Amino acid sequence: MSCCEGGSPQPETPEAIGRRAFLSRAAAVLGGLIGAVLAGVGLGYFISPALRKKVGSWVDLGRAGSFKPGAPVLVEYTQRKRDSWITSESRSSAWVVTENGKDFTAFDPRCTHLGCPFRWHAEEKKFLCPCHTASFDINGKVLGGPPPRPLDRYETKLENGQLLILPKKQEHA
Amino acid sequence: MSAVYLWLCERAGIDKIWETLFARKVPHAKGPAAWLYTLGSATLMIFTIQFITGALLAMSYAPSPDHAYDSVRFIDDHVLLGRLVHGLHHWGATFMVVLTALHMMRTYFMGAYKYPRELTWMVGVGLFLLVLGFSFTGYLLPWDQKAYWATVVGGNIAGQTPVFGPYISKIRLGGEDMGAATLTRFYAIHVLVLPALIAGAIGVHLFLVIWNGISETPKRAGKQVAP
Ligand code: HEM
Ligand code: FES
Repeated sequence: MSCCEGGSPQPETPEAIGRRAFLSRAAAVLGGLIGAVLAGVGLGYFISPALRKKVGSWVDLGRAGSFKPGAPVLVEYTQRKRDSWITSESRSSAWVVTENGKDFTAFDPRCTHLGCPFRWHAEEKKFLCPCHTASFDINGKVLGGPPPRPLDRYETKLENGQLLILPKKQEHA
Repeated sequence: MSAVYLWLCERAGIDKIWETLFARKVPHAKGPAAWLYTLGSATLMIFTIQFITGALLAMSYAPSPDHAYDSVRFIDDHVLLGRLVHGLHHWGATFMVVLTALHMMRTYFMGAYKYPRELTWMVGVGLFLLVLGFSFTGYLLPWDQKAYWATVVGGNIAGQTPVFGPYISKIRLGGEDMGAATLTRFYAIHVLVLPALIAGAIGVHLFLVIWNGISETPKRAGKQVAP
């Protein structure tokens, strides 16, 4: 090591960069790198809820034969749900509709406008929402009122004569 | 120089601030001894990491006996990079104590605590106690067997204090026994009280470091040293 060790400035030559310039550049690069990794890790952790896949599980709503064609019913069920680190049992419901006793549709019981619980009105043969007077037909199509889209559906399947649904909140842009 | 930079220089004197904070004169230390001067900055770096990772952990941590353990498991197993963030905070906690102690030893053995830096040292002692406070309160939060019993033992040690022992113990535990109130107490101290205190103390400490400048390395007997 020469007498110049330490912080004293060195003559700047066009090709070679001085010790001071080299060190400050190295510090900036290394610091930037460490900062970028930390920021990336923090960001990933912070936004991870947006990336997490929704998992639902099938719920048994009872014998398929017990549903009368043309008469939607609100079926209540209990579901074990994972809420982050809490596993809770929650009661929810779904509207079950069948027109022929073979094909089933299950509607999310929340109005597609702002989430109020709607009801089936047998005389009018419509789903009516009390909040802002929306109406839907038996297939969930909007007949009137403010909702931007038809009723949300849950996946359904039949297994050994039982009707199963997959309750899942829909994603809407 | 960019227009933005000049604009900021005129209005906020950022060039002067930069000069005072970073372009200040430091002692001409040689060889391995020079590295000892980095210990304070290393401690500061770890503190920053603890601050960031701690804020992230708090987003998914529940300070209640029936959920604390599960929420930590949730961070480890289900949050993206959660195990890494938790790990950084866990190991950072240990390194923070080690680095603070080493930094304290370097300022002691180099005599950096002498005139005019006594106040820097005194604030430093406060910082050391705060760092230990973080360690002690943070250790309970995972609420696993080790955390629980370590805190029971720590508490019993404090409980041995003559006369005041039983009172100290009850205040610390938030009641007769270790329980829900102990956990919320430790959590509040760990994430609210201590961070506020240490941020202020670090501010004063660093101000004093810049105000007094960094001390010279000690010289062999007979040589003059600048204060
Ligand atoms: C949170 C913990 C601490 C942080 C972040 C911190 C930070 C710093 C920094 C960045 C410096 C300047 C660079 C250096 O000399 O290393 C410094 C200097 C100093 N620190 Fe600390 N420090 C902490 C704890 C302590 C403790 C526990 C003591 C002693 C009881 C202490 C005593 C001193 C002294 C006397 C100086 C002046 C050194 C000199 O002028 O040569 N610090 N500290
Ligand atoms: S919420 Fe149903 S109409 Fe507005």
